[in-house]
Amino acid sequence: MKNDYLWDGFGEPDPELQRIEKSLARFRYSGETPEFSSTEFVQPKLPRFAFFTRWTPRFAAATLFLVALTTSVLFLRLSPLQVSNAPGWDVARLSGAPRVGNFSLVSDSSKAQLRVGQLMVTDNSSRASLNVAEVGEIYVDPGSRVRLIESGSNRSRLALELGTIHAAIWAPPGEFVVDTPSATAVDLGCAYTLHVNDDGSGTLRTTLGWVGFHKDGHDSFIPAGAMCATRPVQGPGTPYFEDASEKLRGALHAFDFESLSAADREQALHTILAQARRRDAFTLWHLLARVNVDERAQVYDRLASLVTPPANVTREGTLALDRQMMDAWWNAFDLGDISVWRFWEQKQAPPLLKKAAR
Amino acid sequence: MAITAGARFAAWEWPSVNTAASTDIDDEVLVRAAQGGDRAAFGQLYQHYVRMVHAILLARVPTAAAEDLVHDVFLQALRSLAAMREASRFGPWLAAIARNRAMDFHRRAKPTDSLDAQPGPTDAVENPQHEIAIEDSIALLNAVRELPDVYRETLVMRFVEGMTGPEIAVRTGLTHGSVRVNLHRGMQMLREKWACNTPRAEKEKSS
Repeated sequence: MKNDYLWDGFGEPDPELQRIEKSLARFRYSGETPEFSSTEFVQPKLPRFAFFTRWTPRFAAATLFLVALTTSVLFLRLSPLQVSNAPGWDVARLSGAPRVGNFSLVSDSSKAQLRVGQLMVTDNSSRASLNVAEVGEIYVDPGSRVRLIESGSNRSRLALELGTIHAAIWAPPGEFVVDTPSATAVDLGCAYTLHVNDDGSGTLRTTLGWVGFHKDGHDSFIPAGAMCATRPVQGPGTPYFEDASEKLRGALHAFDFESLSAADREQALHTILAQARRRDAFTLWHLLARVNVDERAQVYDRLASLVTPPANVTREGTLALDRQMMDAWWNAFDLGDISVWRFWEQKQAPPLLKKAAR
Repeated sequence: MAITAGARFAAWEWPSVNTAASTDIDDEVLVRAAQGGDRAAFGQLYQHYVRMVHAILLARVPTAAAEDLVHDVFLQALRSLAAMREASRFGPWLAAIARNRAMDFHRRAKPTDSLDAQPGPTDAVENPQHEIAIEDSIALLNAVRELPDVYRETLVMRFVEGMTGPEIAVRTGLTHGSVRVNLHRGMQMLREKWACNTPRAEKEKSS
């Protein structure tokens, strides 16, 4: 049967398929096997006897550090003044018995600190708050697991492994970040609710300002009143205002996360475009980078019918996803200045990747 | 060619179209080993998935860029591997990184960058093994690229990279049924596009 040849190359060869194979095989990947810097992967093993040459000074330094640490701890415990320069976050019990590491907070007066690397767990009847004067306040709902990843003067990072947090952040934009299994939420001056399900999927709802939702270079921006779903494989979906029509929201969900036939995909896109209001232009802006060339032209035309294209923005440039034009579009929605995000992105840029010699 | 000790993945010979796909159970073991710092295991994963990654990129970005981005995708995967929770979903996870990287390429690209409009410098000299003109090949590839995402990725894996349907299913995490549907519907759409868009048909139309 000819169809078998298309499936696995067995069976009666189909001349048309063979011609296509022959024509396209010239584009087959032919790059050399790559070479990665060993630092990208694992630390190289130490040479023999390196312990004496490399570890002796380190051991001495570690010993000195431990002595200094022990002295400081003793000093602080014995001192009548409580010096609050520890890197942890203050935890307050709101209900039940939230747990910080191995310590359970059981009374209203009990306090604890969440240290870097430590996990805070709330069971089904517990609620707690996390507070850092310079950063903001986080309310943790029942059934949540939150880990403190980083706590510094200009960077704070939590991991929400499961459950729900409500964040009110007053740190400068880009300084407070929450990792989830399927995306990273970057505060851009806001208040928001972040939820993570058992399977790693989740949602982000913004109530004030806006939030960047990011995974592997795949970005969604969620302004106040909007929400965005995320999935472990696909990452953040297309954000939308919560007052958008039910049809638009359903079609977006299917478009982002379901494996649609071409006809169903076309129908979903048609529904999204038909249901979009002027206010939903930011949703269409996100779609531009997530559709194929044919679909992008349709999205552009609908977007341009809802919002006048900004100065110096062209149809061709937008269809080619020219970054400056895309940024100009975003700023035209007046939902937040995208340069804030670009600045954050720039700060995250990894050191120059060592490329394989080709 | 000299090989840097310990830092290079094992050499890889491209399998023919009928190569049996390794099971995803094997890959789960490799993923866990790679998460534990086993570089050889990551090398094997590279070998298993490089054609899928290249196909996903080639379906979206110019040919030359696709080759460059393959390396970036694996570097990004390497850096994020420790945080990956479901070893069994390595293929779909890697595919998502590749798609996002392609999207990122377009976001950062100049408006003048487009898919392969002209034969590249390496294509200028015809490879005698190819009896088909380079313009026809480029036009055909561009016709595939105009198909919806799910179809173009599957067709590029099948026709460009020479992967079989079962292998595509194992690598991408799609069911056999979905891959079959994508191949057949994609081929049907490609036939329709190709029938009226071949360079020869264009010439006939203009004459």
